[in-house]
Amino acid sequence: MPQIEIKSINAFYEKLHVLKNIKLSVSKGEIVSLIGPSGSGKSSLLKMLVGLLIPKSGKMYLNGNLVNFKNQSDLRTVREQIAIVFQQYNLFQNMNVLKNVCIAPTKIQKRNPKEVNEQAITLLEKVGLKDKLKSYPDELSGGQQQRVAIARALCLNPQILLLDEITSALDPELVKEVLDSIRLLASEGMTMLIVSHEMSFVKEVSSRVVFMDEGSIIEINNPKNIFEKPKEKRTLDFVSKILKEK
Amino acid sequence: MGYTLVYTQVLEFLPYLIKGAWISLQIAILAFFGGMFFGLILATIRTFGNNISNKIVICYVTFFTNTPQLVQIYFLFFALPEFGILLSPYIAVLLGMTLNAAAYLCEIQRAGFLSIRQNELDAAKTLNFSLVQQVKYVILPHIMRVLFPPLSNHYIIMTLGTSMAAIFGVEELTGRAFNINSETFRSVEIFSITALIYIVITFIATFLLAVIGRYFFKAKIRIIQ
Ligand SMILES: Nc1ncnc2c1ncn2[C@@H]1O[C@H](COP(=O)(O)OP(=O)(O)O)[C@@H](O)[C@H]1O
Ligand SMILES: [Mg+2]
Repeated sequence: MPQIEIKSINAFYEKLHVLKNIKLSVSKGEIVSLIGPSGSGKSSLLKMLVGLLIPKSGKMYLNGNLVNFKNQSDLRTVREQIAIVFQQYNLFQNMNVLKNVCIAPTKIQKRNPKEVNEQAITLLEKVGLKDKLKSYPDELSGGQQQRVAIARALCLNPQILLLDEITSALDPELVKEVLDSIRLLASEGMTMLIVSHEMSFVKEVSSRVVFMDEGSIIEINNPKNIFEKPKEKRTLDFVSKILKEK
Repeated sequence: MGYTLVYTQVLEFLPYLIKGAWISLQIAILAFFGGMFFGLILATIRTFGNNISNKIVICYVTFFTNTPQLVQIYFLFFALPEFGILLSPYIAVLLGMTLNAAAYLCEIQRAGFLSIRQNELDAAKTLNFSLVQQVKYVILPHIMRVLFPPLSNHYIIMTLGTSMAAIFGVEELTGRAFNINSETFRSVEIFSITALIYIVITFIATFLLAVIGRYFFKAKIRIIQ
């Protein structure tokens, strides 16, 4: 049984048809990468998975259970299991780094504050922010905020992690650090959906790669094939263009 | 030439003036909170309302921020009786200042609404914050921090604006200064003391607001400009 299964999902922003007939299933421990030109709907797909963009039609199953996005308790269950790191980090500006990471586990999940605190510090240490615990987001660089957002997501102990362009704001020397921690998570069996333009990384860690364009999934393939012999012409155009830029 | 300052005679009136200051303070506080409440309603309409209700609020705000407050109060005081509505000077001033404050505070609070970051609300939702928790942890701290300095400023401006009440015969601080002046003709002494009392009032208010702003809302307010 797949951990996430979406069937014929269609979603809109007002009139804009942003997700068109999306079908995808992800098994436990899989790492699925989403690639595609900007504006193709990658972020929107991730947002849909956590109920920030409610589909107009189609079905989503989480661990075999049909999700009713209109039902608050279903939404809560989805968000307990799936954590997201947004493309713009979306940190709480009025809270310091540690509070950003701790607030949901303590106030929402009602876990023991001391234990949460320890976990948060360990996570922040891992992403190299040990000396920034008391800093506010506006005092941090984009890359640092990105890593706080990763720590915040991990501190929820999710089953599934959604990562939206997490390397685009990072300084080159940090890309390696962050990618290393994702590799580590991968080896621990966390299910992940990753939007990334870091093609070599995508190639290395992904179980499967999804190519999206204009709101549709054009091709799903294994990482070797999608870069070397894609089935679709649009995939080939995109992949060769992006590899040329490197 | 040859005017000698004599404060002894005027100092006898100090308690009388201070009681007047208390009335000034009352007008400022009542008009401020009345204006906050009414302004909040206007700001809500302006943010979430339809086209027609928006236009009405825009007209209201434009009118009250582009005509002198004195004229607005004169209007309430002299024009309304023509329509059979009689207001005491105190009520006319209070009402005028409240309506005026509502226009300014509507704009300030609207700016606060607009500064709420959708990004943070998205994050809060995916972290399973309830609506109440979103307001408590994300919206209110942010809005208070953004709004506290301009609101404090406006409060101080309003405190000083209460002296207009004297023109209508309200016996607040300035009104009482007028009274003593016509009795003693010690104008320089009287108005210097009156000015000093205003300074003390606004200084205390600024200080308290800065402390509250800093400790409760992490708002950055300078005590001395
Ligand atoms: N909140 C929104 N409201 C309206 N349109 C949006 C919103 N977010 C994204 N879009 C539009 O939806 C399309 C897909 O955007 P997005 O999912 O962010 O693409 P990607 O992440 O692949 O760059 C784009 O045309 C974008 O302009
Ligand atoms: Mg995106």
